[in-house]
Amino acid sequence: MKYRLVVRRVKATGGRRFDVFEVEAEPDESVLDVVERVSLQGDRTLTFEHACHHGVCGACGMVINGVERLACITRIGEVARGGVVVVEPLRGFRVVSDLAVDKSRMFGKYRLVTPTTLEKLDSRLDRVEFEKLYDCTECGICYSACPIANTFKDYLGPSLLAIVSRSAEGRVPAVIDSRAGVWACHAAFECSVRCPVDFKPGESIMRLRRRLLKGEVEVEG
Amino acid sequence: MELVGVLKSWFRVRGRSFEHFSFSVRRLTGVVMALYLLLHLIDISTLVLGKEAYDALLGLFGGRLGLVADSLLWSALVLHGTLGVYSAIVELGYMLEHRRLLLILAWALAVVLIAVGVWVIACALA
Repeated sequence: MKYRLVVRRVKATGGRRFDVFEVEAEPDESVLDVVERVSLQGDRTLTFEHACHHGVCGACGMVINGVERLACITRIGEVARGGVVVVEPLRGFRVVSDLAVDKSRMFGKYRLVTPTTLEKLDSRLDRVEFEKLYDCTECGICYSACPIANTFKDYLGPSLLAIVSRSAEGRVPAVIDSRAGVWACHAAFECSVRCPVDFKPGESIMRLRRRLLKGEVEVEG
Repeated sequence: MELVGVLKSWFRVRGRSFEHFSFSVRRLTGVVMALYLLLHLIDISTLVLGKEAYDALLGLFGGRLGLVADSLLWSALVLHGTLGVYSAIVELGYMLEHRRLLLILAWALAVVLIAVGVWVIACALA
């Protein structure tokens, strides 16, 4: 079947444009497969991120027909509208080139998560049945979907706060209990709706708020 | 961030969920009510110009225009209120498992209250 792939191109030189590619693809094929084919056969300068191709690494998050999704687990036939698929880079991050964004805004804040936090999450993995997509894949989709993360650059962001919420056992850094932390969230819940692994960042943030209000969590510093 | 970017993000509804749409409505009605407050202050300040000026302005809102304006204002007030109560409950970390049902109830209550309010306004202006 023929699809029209419209790619929003953004280059460091400041240029912005939409490029249109006519591609032949099966409806069951993933959007990532089609983007890769375009980059191999149509335009070798097309920049995008990918790694695992099965929805675990979180590298290929992009906005597909207006909705944040992982391109590798999104079937083109399910999202195409009139045979057209528009792909854009995630919102809320600085675009490096085309569909590749700089996620340091998210990863750079991980220093706020104590080392034990990640260890605790790892230890929980021992207690669950082998389950794919148990934990946050750090894809950045929640940042892109969140109207606050899009407009308030100091906001720590849904995924980081959710990780803290799920791992905090009595103490959290002071920044978590601040204007840039849990109190910036305004319950749009788009992060939870769009999260490809059902990590429910929105609910986790609200639970942490409740614990802070009840004094169940101590604030450091 | 520039204002246009902020507004685009707050009020983006294409490809967004019911929850995000409700968030947008909550924000929009908040802005509308803030603007109304400003208008109301201007309206009241016409008293300084005398009784005639004030009555002339009031007369503007006595007919169909008044019904539309008051209905819109009442709708904004009700939506901001019901969605605000929903927001207050979930933002305190309660009923998170049933937040979608709570949101549907908030909208349903808003629709009922808007209908009753518009009927009362229409009766008052008739």
